[in-house]
Amino acid sequence: MAALESETRQSYLVFACGSSWYAVPAEAAAEVVTFPELTRVPGSPPHLLGVFAHRGEVIPVVDMSLLVGGVTAGSRRAVLVRLPRGTLALTASSVAGVSPVTGALEPLGPSGVHVHLRGPGKSGARDVAVIDPEGLFDHLSQGG
Amino acid sequence: MPRAARVEGTLLCLVGPHRLAFEANEVASIAAPGGSWVSARRAFREAAGAQRVLVTLTGEAVGVDGLEIDAEVLSVLPPSPVVAGSSGGSLRGFVVTRGVLWPLVHLDGFERYLRTLGPEAA
Repeated sequence: MAALESETRQSYLVFACGSSWYAVPAEAAAEVVTFPELTRVPGSPPHLLGVFAHRGEVIPVVDMSLLVGGVTAGSRRAVLVRLPRGTLALTASSVAGVSPVTGALEPLGPSGVHVHLRGPGKSGARDVAVIDPEGLFDHLSQGG
Repeated sequence: MPRAARVEGTLLCLVGPHRLAFEANEVASIAAPGGSWVSARRAFREAAGAQRVLVTLTGEAVGVDGLEIDAEVLSVLPPSPVVAGSSGGSLRGFVVTRGVLWPLVHLDGFERYLRTLGPEAA
């Protein structure tokens, strides 16, 4: 219960990728950017759209919709998620803003990327999946 | 603090619509396609093809569509852990030249990676 209360007091940046809504802890969401033409990385999976240089760092762009098995959102905007080990850009077709998320926030699946998505969550009237940024970063770094 | 990696002498290659760079001293020669080679296009999930092949120091060959030589000293931007394992770990990082990013890969490791992708009609 303590973990749940802690989760519900936290603020999240809520954004859409395709038809799904996601939330990342606000302290990890550095900014929302419009990214330039991407450079494809040889041998990378389809959900890794490419990389771009931003303030001296080469940032990978991940399409969350493709990552969870959907179709590409086709957006040129992204939420930059800054972690101690590096920055991730998650494509965003719409950004709702910062708000609390309520709900049980249990892993949405037993394996794969769904381990790092938590729900069911609510942000206002929206159903959202809360992203565990560190877990997602690990998953992607292992070729996920 | 470690010094940033640099490369002096780079082969800038076009692979279909994509870009790829190799350190020039890893390339023994540049030749027309012939004999045994693997297409770099396969790393981008595209049909095999090449206009030139880059021959490694051990005699293996990687096909690309176009290339030019850049003699400048270029800084190598480190790859994110998210992409560091791409291409079988042959990705060294990225260089910026001609106003765009180029993935820099080790030629021999990249050639081995391409061969893991299975047979192709070359």
